[in-house]
Amino acid sequence: MTMTDTTRVPGTTAQTSARQGDAITRFIEDDRRRARRELITNRLLALGFGVFVLLVWAVATHGGFVHSLIIPTPIATLEASGRVMSADYFLPNVWVTLQEIFWGFVIGMAAGAILGILVAMFAPVRATLYPYLVALQAPPKIVLAPIFITWFGFDMESKIAISVVMCFFPMFLNTLTGLSSVDPNAIKLMRSLTANRWQTFRHLLLPNAAPIMMAGVKLCWTLAVLGVIVGEFVGASAGIGYLIYAMNFQLDIPAVFFLIILLSLFTLIVYQLIEWLENRVVFWTSL
Amino acid sequence: MSSEIICGTNISKVYATATGPLVALDDVSFGVEEGEFISLVGPSGCGKSTLLSILGGLEDRSLGHLDIAGKPADSPRPDVGMMFQTSVLFPWRTIRENVRLPGQILKLDKARQKQRTEELLDMVGLNGFGDRYPGELSGGMRQRVGLARLLAHDPRILMMDEPFGALDEFTRETMNLELLRIWEATRKTVIFVTHNIGEAVFLSDRVFVMTPRPGRLEGIVEIDLPRPRTTGIMRDPRYSELVFEIRRMLGVDH
Repeated sequence: MTMTDTTRVPGTTAQTSARQGDAITRFIEDDRRRARRELITNRLLALGFGVFVLLVWAVATHGGFVHSLIIPTPIATLEASGRVMSADYFLPNVWVTLQEIFWGFVIGMAAGAILGILVAMFAPVRATLYPYLVALQAPPKIVLAPIFITWFGFDMESKIAISVVMCFFPMFLNTLTGLSSVDPNAIKLMRSLTANRWQTFRHLLLPNAAPIMMAGVKLCWTLAVLGVIVGEFVGASAGIGYLIYAMNFQLDIPAVFFLIILLSLFTLIVYQLIEWLENRVVFWTSL
Repeated sequence: MSSEIICGTNISKVYATATGPLVALDDVSFGVEEGEFISLVGPSGCGKSTLLSILGGLEDRSLGHLDIAGKPADSPRPDVGMMFQTSVLFPWRTIRENVRLPGQILKLDKARQKQRTEELLDMVGLNGFGDRYPGELSGGMRQRVGLARLLAHDPRILMMDEPFGALDEFTRETMNLELLRIWEATRKTVIFVTHNIGEAVFLSDRVFVMTPRPGRLEGIVEIDLPRPRTTGIMRDPRYSELVFEIRRMLGVDH
């Protein structure tokens, strides 16, 4: 008995492991299929909800439940998109807004990051500026819009200024928080290696702050757009916000709807782009 | 006296707290020979971590005198390497880049460091993991990286603050054997903080027994177990005797 068993063992083992290997392969395939199915289901759910909202919109407007002056029909909005985009005022106005957003975003973000670094790294700077920066953070920055128009005029400068002020604070605070929230043992390690301030900043503090700073960048982006559009509402002679304001005044609601959708899509696409970049810059947060 | 690499005399540390001064270390004096493996053992609050921080130059002492390698020691120095309970690996650096950190900070020769990094990864059994990131490694593997980084700039003295305290019992045992193997090979001076008496006896030449409130050096126990040691030594009656002697000094035998 024992003899035959032992002689059989090699063959049996090989067969068993082969069969087991098959089972494992099948198991992994099943798992993958299930994950894919779940992904597709989720996509369909999201898509389905979008279609549902569109349907409600269509039924409510075409069915006459809501007056077309309050909410235009989807068809009218689509029609307005063609009309607005082919008009010769369209591109110059878009170009103005794009420039304002770009400069507001870049300047506000850079100023926030640089001042955040200075306040975090230099105690005298912190002691001097920090109380004021915190106090300034409290009032809603929008209140500055009218005065900025008075100071910087109806052109791009005033919108850029509002945008800068809007995105400065989240970037400043996130940079400061990121640079301060560091493992005390990591600081001890750097000290024990006799690292100087610059080495500690470059090798530990800055990369350690990067994830929180990237969150700040995303916040900055939406606030930069918000600042520019609000500025154009308050006082401008060009820009998407100016167009929305003017068309709303002329009761061209379909055009207003189209411009809102356009602006939302633009903001969203750039936001996604920043997120894509974020995943590459601070790749380790998802390891 | 002449071969003492660390010499502390009457070291005290007092913290000012809201409820008055707190004595963390009270008049601690000791000497450590070059190449010795010393453990500081005691319950939390006995000042063992404070003492290690003072030895590493990370914290000031309130009173007393400290000489390292014949010179007064008041600040961090490259010939003293430190390791902590958490591995403190930088998650944005690969394993290899983490081990190369000390060389980078101390601006050591790049080619030499590159070669040394590979040797060290080999030594701690992480060959082939150099390009991974810390987030992809287990706790035990991360402390192996920490061990390799500790040795990267070849410090004369290793100060280890409960380096395996956060690991499970099995991993801790493996790491202790690993540490002994590396110590036998390099014969560096080690100051090892732990609250695990068995671990202290297993590893050390001498155990500094510390008691809390205020933090005092209660006594020094010579560990006369033969080397090289394996886990089999825990069956040695002498091992149990030493463990119980330390327990008695700490007043934890009831």
